[in-house]
Amino acid sequence: MLIASAGNVLVWIVWIVAAFACLGSGIAVVSFSNPFYSALALIGNLGSLAVLYLLLNAEFVAAAQVLVYAGAVMVMFLFVIAYIGPRTESPWMGGPSWQAAGAVLAAGALLVEIVVVIGLKASGHLAHSEHVDRTFGTPAYIGRLFLTDHLLAFEITSIVLLVAAIGGVILGAHSRRSPEEVPSL
Amino acid sequence: MNNGEPWWISLIKAAIIVNLVMLAFAYTTWLERKLLGRLQLRYGPNRAGPFGLLQPIADLIKLIRKESFFPVAARDSVYIVAPVIALFTALAAFAVIPFGAGWQIWHYHVNGEIANVSIGLILIFALGSVGVYGAIVGGWASESKFSLLGSMRTCAQLVSYEVSLALSVLGVVLMGQSLNLVDIVNKQGATIWFFIPQLAGLLVFFFAVIAETSRPPFDLPEADTELVAGYHTEYGGMRWGLFQTAEYINMITLSALAVTLFFAGWHGPWAPLGPLWFLLKVFVLVSILIWVRASVPRLRYDQLMSFGWKVLLPIATLNAVITALLVVWVD
Repeated sequence: MLIASAGNVLVWIVWIVAAFACLGSGIAVVSFSNPFYSALALIGNLGSLAVLYLLLNAEFVAAAQVLVYAGAVMVMFLFVIAYIGPRTESPWMGGPSWQAAGAVLAAGALLVEIVVVIGLKASGHLAHSEHVDRTFGTPAYIGRLFLTDHLLAFEITSIVLLVAAIGGVILGAHSRRSPEEVPSL
Repeated sequence: MNNGEPWWISLIKAAIIVNLVMLAFAYTTWLERKLLGRLQLRYGPNRAGPFGLLQPIADLIKLIRKESFFPVAARDSVYIVAPVIALFTALAAFAVIPFGAGWQIWHYHVNGEIANVSIGLILIFALGSVGVYGAIVGGWASESKFSLLGSMRTCAQLVSYEVSLALSVLGVVLMGQSLNLVDIVNKQGATIWFFIPQLAGLLVFFFAVIAETSRPPFDLPEADTELVAGYHTEYGGMRWGLFQTAEYINMITLSALAVTLFFAGWHGPWAPLGPLWFLLKVFVLVSILIWVRASVPRLRYDQLMSFGWKVLLPIATLNAVITALLVVWVD
């Protein structure tokens, strides 16, 4: 019993740390002047989101999040940023102040919208906890959903990704060929 | 998730495993130097202790006692954290690798792995993909051209070969019908060791492992003649030591993963020796990796890339598709 409640406290501590890390790194993404640090903060943000998924029994989603987003996608971001070189000027410096005001207004509107939607739609469901199956969130369960209920979306996504991959190859091959077409001196 | 095992047993086990892995790392460096020496008709380390057995300890003392300085232009915080990320992810990956069937000690059941998670395999790949940041961030934070070029190469190479690495084990996942490493090992114990039906997968996995650990002949990220030492050019003392530790532990972990996925983990052909079989198989695989290093010269960068994308990836994809068809057909 003591250990069970200790586990509960541990879950709360992890949740609070992950939630604040998520918010903190999100703010850090837009406030760093160096894009490399922004990208690092974005990795932290994606990582702390993965921790939140873990707390919700979504092990597979958490691992996929780290593998695909925090891993593969962000590596590409860092690669490009490190290649292009550091730009130390802050993106917001010298910008018109109405942009900042507009961004704050838009963010505020979004926040109000989210709170209202959650309040209207989920007010009754938030009070009591839902029973979750042991199989919920396992790779087998998600795979079955992909191949039954969400087959069309799954297949369309794969075609879109395939088209994007082929497009990337064609663009890359084109730019590689062009120096040879230029007559050398 | 931990099958009725009290949390403190997991904790003790984790501490033991981390120390064992560090010990294994220390003596892998010894084994590598000794084997490389013998393969090149030298003696290798033979001064510190009998057979040079105390050499890793001497190296450790030397590295720790070195003055830890860094380039003036380096970005300190990130520069210091980078080797820690590399080592942390390397060590953490070992948590899901099963090394025994589990034992009854006094009246507690002790599992043969630290954490038995349903997504063990994906977790290892996820940790591996985070481990890349150690190299990239370290190279970038050093503010040196060699380091930056080294980390660019590391990044391109590791991302390229990660695709083949993940695809090569898809066949094993399909045959084992699980992403849980314990289930995969048990399945092999009950049916057949997967290296026989998955030979193509094993070969792709093996080459991808050499590339992922950036060992010769795929050690382009730290090609000495071109890049001095790649992403860790500006690192010295124990910070450099952490990068090296991470590299060797990755090699041990991936060998252990190969044993788990293709050679039935702790199962042996005859006597039920449990973890000893596991250790023996990992030892053999690590020795083969060292042997390859001694035998094959370094590839050119374009050869490395075309080998990864034009040879390994198609083979891995074909292997996965054919395995999927066969698994459905047999069912």
